[in-house]
Amino acid sequence: MKKFLALALAAAMSLSLVACGGGNTSSPAASSKPAASSGSSDASTPAPAGNGDFKVGAIYITSQNDVAGYTFQHHNGITTAMKDLGMDPATQLLIVDNVAEDYDAVCSAIDTLANQGANVIFGISFGYIDAMNDKAGEYTDICFSHGTGYMANDTNFNNYFGRIYQARYLAGIAAGLKSKELGNNNIGYVAAYNTEYAETCSGINGFALGAQSANPDATVYVQKINTWGDENLERQAAQALIDTYNCGVISQHCDSAQPQLVAQENGAFGCGYNSDMTEQAPNAHLTAAIWHWNVYYQTAIEAAIACNGDAAKFVENMGGNAYYAGLAEGFVDASPVNEKVAAPNTAAVMDAVRELIKSGEWDVFTGVKLSYNISDDGKVEIIKTDADLVDADLNVIVAAGGPSVDDGVIKGSMDYNVAGVQEG
Amino acid sequence: MKNRQPLFHVVKREGASPARQLLAYVAAVALALAVGAVLLAVQGVEPVTFYRQLITMGIPGSRYPWRAVENFIKLFVPLLIVSMALSLAFKMRFWNIGGEGQFIMGAFWAGFAAMKLGESLPRPAMVLVMALCGALGGGLYGVFVAALKVKWGTNETLLTLMLNYIALYFLQYFAETKTDWNFFLDPGSARPKFAKFPASAQMITIPIGPFNLNLSLLIAAALCVLLYIYLNYTKRGYEIAVVGDSPNTARYAGMKVGKIVIRTIFLSAALIGLAGAFQVSSAGILSASVTNDVGWTGIVVAWLAKLNTAGIVVASLLITVLQFGCQTASTTYPSIDANFANLLQGVILFIVLAADFFTRFQLVRTRKEAAK
Repeated sequence: MKKFLALALAAAMSLSLVACGGGNTSSPAASSKPAASSGSSDASTPAPAGNGDFKVGAIYITSQNDVAGYTFQHHNGITTAMKDLGMDPATQLLIVDNVAEDYDAVCSAIDTLANQGANVIFGISFGYIDAMNDKAGEYTDICFSHGTGYMANDTNFNNYFGRIYQARYLAGIAAGLKSKELGNNNIGYVAAYNTEYAETCSGINGFALGAQSANPDATVYVQKINTWGDENLERQAAQALIDTYNCGVISQHCDSAQPQLVAQENGAFGCGYNSDMTEQAPNAHLTAAIWHWNVYYQTAIEAAIACNGDAAKFVENMGGNAYYAGLAEGFVDASPVNEKVAAPNTAAVMDAVRELIKSGEWDVFTGVKLSYNISDDGKVEIIKTDADLVDADLNVIVAAGGPSVDDGVIKGSMDYNVAGVQEG
Repeated sequence: MKNRQPLFHVVKREGASPARQLLAYVAAVALALAVGAVLLAVQGVEPVTFYRQLITMGIPGSRYPWRAVENFIKLFVPLLIVSMALSLAFKMRFWNIGGEGQFIMGAFWAGFAAMKLGESLPRPAMVLVMALCGALGGGLYGVFVAALKVKWGTNETLLTLMLNYIALYFLQYFAETKTDWNFFLDPGSARPKFAKFPASAQMITIPIGPFNLNLSLLIAAALCVLLYIYLNYTKRGYEIAVVGDSPNTARYAGMKVGKIVIRTIFLSAALIGLAGAFQVSSAGILSASVTNDVGWTGIVVAWLAKLNTAGIVVASLLITVLQFGCQTASTTYPSIDANFANLLQGVILFIVLAADFFTRFQLVRTRKEAAK
């Protein structure tokens, strides 16, 4: 917007410099249209006074007034957590928004929040990492918490992320059952990135293993768009998967619901991400892998309050400096199954596996594969088979019966696809 | 066929006094703030409190006021230098829209020097080398367009504009490509991210109590004075003005127009590159959004100030207060985000420019008889 304004100004001024009196130059139209900020001030009713003067600071990559997407999810999580704790976001939440992943910009945002009395500061974007690390050392009286990062200290600075691959495994089951019902083993996956980031490829792998548990012949075709969100590219990628591979189910790791809309337009089906996209594509959407960020934010704000002014106890109160929770803690989940379009018994199978993962008995990236026996009355029996976990080049990652790969691999160094995934 | 006449036409106003001009500016800012106040009130924010926080930038009574001042200076210095540099080109009627690209190139080559030589050079030498690399990187990126214009008469507006995006994606390529040869990235991170520079590549600061005065502010101030003298009291400065007014007159007077254009654009772009170098050495790390839009905002500042050196200092100071103050003030209001701050800035600039236009021109009703 600033760019257009600058250009329009330059054009207008150069015109008016050249324009000599008397000519009937129409007045230069510098009509840069500012994006109308939706004036949806959330009418938060004054919350019961609790933890009255505790201030939560947040640094967002886009705006808290977004109506969908990454920042929206986090802002929702923080405000929900605060309300559940009896705090009033209108007075106790300090936000610096639209902060680029730029060291100086993040440091400046942290200084501003510190100056305004924030007791805990959340940074939601990966690129904030160095600034948060350095400022945590400078402001030792403030708790720092960094989403998706890997840096931390032993006192006032932790990082947080979740086992979204578990939710994706559940969504994969829904996709696998649907593909079996359709008699079409080709499943598409619109991905921001693939093996460049552990976050994306662990999601693809989790989803593919889930799909294969329900349909052993399923192949997941991945179409990359090389950005975390671009509605046009997401749409094109989904259409390409349908046109090229005749995919009957489309999953996604990108910001908007476009892939689900494309699936619906083509009479195909799909699994969304971040929010329950049944709302957008009621005739196509099966289930979505979703985050419950408020679960983390409530835990973290409670831990920060419990410091009682001594921020050095934050990490201890959190039980460690890297929070990595999953289905068991309710941090991630699959959204309710859309019974109108899902294959029969989808919800029952997902429920059974959800309980299995919650119990801690089994996890996705192990040397044990699941399959299901569904009786006529809808009872689900999970069958566990020891089998190698192999990557797309058939290297063995985990030998048959072996334990799960390390958390560090899932969070940081995973850079392969499992067998049955093909990048298109 | 009847030739339709417009209802109004624009006529130059005679004898607009400076006092009247100033009054128009003040009235315009007041009007813009009033429009902003209505927008704030609609969102349930008390305008007076918001504006007070905006103007004071939240500094009085805060816990670490010196940090706020340091951050303010880090925003102000690049904008000041870039606006100065752009005014140099604009005075010659060379439409350099490429501030963003030249800034990025300056930052990139300064970063290159920091990563390659940071371990081996002492701090003052390293900062100097980074400044030189930045100036050279930015300057060559700009002079390329000037040379094309002099040689083949290409359109500099289009070329500088397009080169912005080339520079941006060039930098992004290094920001996102994790391979063994990419020495810009942090080897300790599984996800691609820029590595911090060695300590010697950090901009020199002068400690005054808890406050650290960034050396780049002093250099920028000195550059303002030098540029003022250059433009107003030297032969070369005079040549720029003549070429700007009329290249043919300049040629007739025996000036080498091509040489003047190339020299001036190199200077303009080199200063922008220098600002980029200062930016990264102040931060101590590269970033893909290193410019903070100064290449664009600088154009606005230069024109607001009518390319006048003192005016540029005032305008860039005010714009920085507006930007930094808006961010600080909106922190406490969940409904106010940076988009609103941008909107407010846009409203103010638009009304000020409209006032500027109407102090210099007036609309006159086209008379029916005259139209025939």
